Parts: sequence; structure tokens; C-alpha cells
Amino acid sequence: MAKTVVEVDSLVKIYGSLRAVDDISFELHEGEVFAFLGPNGAGKTTAVEILECIRPLTSGSARVFGYDVTKGEDAKEIKKRIGVLPQDFSALDKLSVKENIDLIGRMYERKLDTLEVIKLLDLEDKTKERFENLSGGLKQRVGVAAALVNDPQLVFLDEPTTGLDPKARREVWQVIENLKKLGKTVFLTSHYMEEAQVLADRIAIINKGKIAVIGSPQDLISRYGGLKTLVIRKGGKKLARTLQDRYGGTSLNEDEDVFVKVDDVKEMWQALSTVTDISMLTDVYIGREIEIQTPTIEGVFLRVVGGKITEEGELK
Amino acid sequence: MRRSLIIFTAVTKNWMRSRSGIFFSIMFPVMLLLVFGAIFGGVGGPSTYGLFVQNLDRTADGTPTELSDGFVEALNSTNTFDIRNVPVDADATSYARDSLGPLGGNIRILIIPDGFQDDLLNGTLKVRVGISYVTLLTMYEFFERYLSEAERMAIQQGLAQMGQYNASIPDRDTSLTLILDASDQSSAIVKGIVMNIASAFNYHLVGARAVINFTEESIAVRQFRTVDFYVPGIIAAFIMSNGIIGVTTNTTEFKRRGIIKRLSITPLSKIEWILGNVLSQTLLNLMLTAIMIVIGWLLFNVQAIPDVYSLLLIFLGSLMFSGIGMVLSGLVKDVEAASAIGNAIAFPMMFLSGTYFPLEFMPEFLQSFARVLPLTYFSDGLRYAMIYKYSEGIFTNMAIISVLAVAFIILGSVVTRWKEK
Repeated sequence: MAKTVVEVDSLVKIYGSLRAVDDISFELHEGEVFAFLGPNGAGKTTAVEILECIRPLTSGSARVFGYDVTKGEDAKEIKKRIGVLPQDFSALDKLSVKENIDLIGRMYERKLDTLEVIKLLDLEDKTKERFENLSGGLKQRVGVAAALVNDPQLVFLDEPTTGLDPKARREVWQVIENLKKLGKTVFLTSHYMEEAQVLADRIAIINKGKIAVIGSPQDLISRYGGLKTLVIRKGGKKLARTLQDRYGGTSLNEDEDVFVKVDDVKEMWQALSTVTDISMLTDVYIGREIEIQTPTIEGVFLRVVGGKITEEGELK
Repeated sequence: MRRSLIIFTAVTKNWMRSRSGIFFSIMFPVMLLLVFGAIFGGVGGPSTYGLFVQNLDRTADGTPTELSDGFVEALNSTNTFDIRNVPVDADATSYARDSLGPLGGNIRILIIPDGFQDDLLNGTLKVRVGISYVTLLTMYEFFERYLSEAERMAIQQGLAQMGQYNASIPDRDTSLTLILDASDQSSAIVKGIVMNIASAFNYHLVGARAVINFTEESIAVRQFRTVDFYVPGIIAAFIMSNGIIGVTTNTTEFKRRGIIKRLSITPLSKIEWILGNVLSQTLLNLMLTAIMIVIGWLLFNVQAIPDVYSLLLIFLGSLMFSGIGMVLSGLVKDVEAASAIGNAIAFPMMFLSGTYFPLEFMPEFLQSFARVLPLTYFSDGLRYAMIYKYSEGIFTNMAIISVLAVAFIILGSVVTRWKEK
């Protein structure tokens, strides 16, 4: 059993009448990538900042490496052991990449060689570049480098890819995967479903300050993801109607793709054989290609929270 | 302390690489010094005031009379006026306006009236006879008892004839016309100089001399010019604005961009952060002082050299104004508001603290207000240290600044948020 790095019990944070974090409990184990997945305002950053010792809690308890986040001396010990990429990371514009990483590193008694960290993040050709001249993706990589420069045991990455283009987002994902390979414990917050699903060992879906569900992506999908879907691309209305009559559970989208819900492998074969029968016995056009869609975290989120998260992080 | 020095280095580097930071902290004050230096430093020779003179007092052949010409010469000899003659038959105001051209300028016209010489001679004669009469009468009254009856009679007769003669001289004075623009800031100076010359002319003509004279002594230990007095003022004003505007906007910007939050997650403490920033401000202000002094010395031969007290005052001033900047940045959220508040406080303070002109020029209620402004004490202290070498003034102001510096730094530390709510 891996060592427990973070223990949160009945954590509550209240602002006036708003319960930003509402009685959440969870644990984080050494070496795992743990993700808080939720829309803007769900309480992700508030909870993480309580663990980073920069925000006081209202009630409950939170311990990091066994240290109590509410105690001054313990907070000092926690700060030595964590690395943080805050939401909307920024640095001193006129300083170079190396100078900015150095600035953070030199705040600690013990730090890694800055150039090694720069190499790790593949920023070698940007070492002397001023922070203000970097692209969004490179800035985030500098932020991750700054989070690693003190060789932390636990790394908090708060919305690390928000606002980045898809290419830059993939680059940051690669960095996080490398952290995992290095054995770092990573606490990730995100409103991107795919990001959480691809990167996290365990996901906690959080909404309105409460953790709705918690578990590994596979576990959550199998528990809440719903049925697999057989998709017949460009199948058209006729096929959809015939399948609905013969098999049931069929729908059609705007692109004329036909969707058939299947519960298990047996049902999938039944559906496929129905499509084959239609193809052989009737003149109904059966589309261009057939694929099987497995449920995703998005489906889990939809079922658990009852909505989708937009690109901007809003719940819809 | 180690972390404070790291913050000091980083913040200073960041500032030194910022063109706008350098401009507002160093270049702008230097430009101001150049302007003040050019005005008050004697560069390019003494400045002159343009003056149109219309001499209507002419002889029969149209040449100016001797005395009217002499008066114009007297004006010229001061090297204060750039005199331009207006033709006799021209409308002086229109002529002056046309001469100044479309870009305009200050209209100052002196009109010497027709009959100036005659009236002046007449008036002079009347004054001289009058003075002689009074003098003789006074002497007669003093010596009367030593004189015989015949002598008394003869003198009385003479005095009576002299009195009659004086009464027969017409009572005609001459009057110069000075046309000035009320909006012309130099009008009072021009008027004063013309009146002084007229008085001197009067004295000369009646053969009198001034009996009250002035001996001017400076309380400064060295010989200083006006530009020397401006240097400590400009330095003080910009140390203030670097603190109140610079620290406020920079800290608010760091806060908005999450840089302070990022640093607060490291073992850096709030006090270390504040100390690093104050040290950076102190270095910036010492650089500003050094550059101002060097430029002032090279271009205007400025003599105001900072000593150890000045340096201590600059440190305390940096501390005090950085503290005010931190208090303000702790109270505002966005950079625009920080900049607006910083400017709203700094600019009135700059002009109401006796930095650019003496407090005595201001109405009494503003003078009372100036006494509660920290810049007043800082500016006075620096001036005492750099110019007057007046120990009591230095230490009194230093004590006030020290108290304010400690108070504002403590207040700044309290309002600087190192932890989120």
C-alpha cells in the first residue's frame, strides 16, 4: 500500500453564505496522479490552496505529509516539500526563463540544478529568453519547471492547460506524464474531461464544493459511464428507423450518424448482426463505416453532475 | 535576509530592463532637472524679456529727445530687456501684435509720452527749487537767533521770492504708460524693473541718492544658485513618486498576475518580500540621486552634494514612500485603480510640499495642509542636508521621516496579503 501523502477530512471553506468547499474528504497516495475535475467555481482551486497553506480552512482537517496545514510551523515544512503551478501562472516579464526558475529555486534551502530542470522540461533553447516573449505553452512549461526546481515530493498543477491551444496542451500533458514516470505525486485540477481521463490515476468529480464521485477513470466509467454505443456513420434516417423497429435504443444526429446503445459484447453482436441482416435483406443503405464508442469520463460527468463543461470551464 | 537579497536582485533586474520603468523613474526626473537647470542654471546667457517701446517725445527734427533716449538707454543697460522700437505714428498695441506674428507672445509696451523731457526738466526744477527752499528755511530757523534784524529781513525777503518762484513753476509731472497682459506671468517682474529704473532716473535728475542700502548675505555655507535649490527638491519629489506610484502599480501588477501568490507558496516570508522591495527602491533612489547630481554638476555646475545625512534621509525616504506604496497596493485590486490613486496622491503632494516653490507662496490653509504631507519633511530635510548643512533642520526632519517610515512599513506589512482569504 502506497504511503498517504494528503489526507483531507470533512474539509469546509465558507465565504459569507457560499460554501466554496463543502465537506469533502479524500486521500492522495504517493506516486499517483490525482485529479480534481469540475467546472469553474466548483471549489477546486480553493481546496488546493488550502493544501498549499495559502488559504485558511473553515472547518475539517487537512494534512500534507502528516503536517497540519493550519499550523504555522507545519506549513513551513509543507512548503518545503511541495511544488506548485498556480492557476494562470505568471512570472517576472523582464527576467529570462533561467532567472525566473532560479528565483523560485533559491527560495528553498535545497534545490535542483536549474539547467537540469530546464533540460527536463525541454526548455534548453529558451534558457535566456525573457518570460514576456514566450508563448502560452512555454510559459506553462516554465511554471512546471518552477514547480519542480525544489525537487518536491508532491506537485500541485492547478488548471495547467487552461487557455492553451491543443498543441500546447499536448505538450503539457507530456510533461505531466514524465512527472509520473519520475515517481512524483501529482495533484491536478482541470475542467477538461479528456485531460483528467488521460493523465489521472484517480479522479474526483467536484461540483458546487462537493465531491460527487471519486475513483479511477475505468472504475468511474464502468460505474457511471453507461452503455457502449455502436455508431454507423452516415447511416441515415431509413437505417435508424429500421434498427429502432427491429432492435430499439437507436438515435440519429444532425450528420445522419446512427447511434445504437449496447449493454455488453453480446448485445453488440446482436446489433451488428441486425445491421448485417438489414444490409443483406433490404435495400437500406447501411452507411460508410461502423465503430464502437466506449463511454468516457464526459459521460460519467454528464450522469453524475447532470451537465457538460464548456471549453471555458462553465457548467452547461 | 538571504531571500530578501534574492528578491531585491530579481525585482531590480526586472525594473532595470523595463524601458517605461527607467523612463518614469530616472529619465523623467532628469528631463525635469534639465528644464529647471536651463531656466535657473544660467545656461545660454541670461534670459531677457521682450519690450516694445514707443518714444513719442521727439525734437523738431523727429529725433528722440535727450532724456527720453537716455531713459531707453537706461532700460537697455540692464540687459534684461529685448527692446523693440515702435514707430511714432503706429498704434502701439496693433504694431506689437503684428510684430509678434501668428504664434503670438507676451505683449509688453512702454509708451514714453510727448513732452517727457520738458515735463521731466520742469518737474526736476520744481523739486530742486522746493528742496533748496525747505533747506534754506530750515537753516534760517536754526540760525535765526544769531542774526541781526537786517540780516533776518534780507533772508526772509529772499526766501519769499524763492517761494514765489517755486509756486510759479507749473505743477507738471510726467507719466509713462506701461501696457501689460494680465495673463503674462512676467508682467510683475517687468513692471518692477521699469519702476526701479524710473526711480533711479528721478534720483539722478534731482541729484539725490538712496540712503537705505542692502548688504545681502546667504545663509548657505557655499555659494549656490537657484538650480542648486531645485536639485534636492526634484530628487525628493521623484523618490516620493517612485514609492507612491511605482511601488503601488508594480505591487498591484505582481498581485494581479499571481506573482506574489506564487512566491508566497515558497518558504519566502512576507517581511522578506517587503524588505527585498524596499532595498530595490533604495537602490533605485540612490541611482536617481547620483545621476541627478552628476548631470547637474556636469551641465549646470550644481554644488549640492549629498553627504552621509542625505544618504540616510534617502534610505528613510525610500522606506517611508515604499511603505505608503504598499499600503495603497494592499487596499486596491486592479492596476488602473492603483495607478490613478498613486497619481492622485503623488502629484498634488509634489506641488504642495514646497518642492518646486516656497510654501510662503501658497495660501495659509494650503500651508497648513502642506505640514501634514510627508514630502514636506523629506524635501526640507534633504535641502537642509544638501544645501544649508543645518543640523537641527536635518535631525528634526529625519526624526519625523523615521517615525513615518516605521509607521507606514508596519501598516504596509499588515495590509499586504500573504495568504488568500
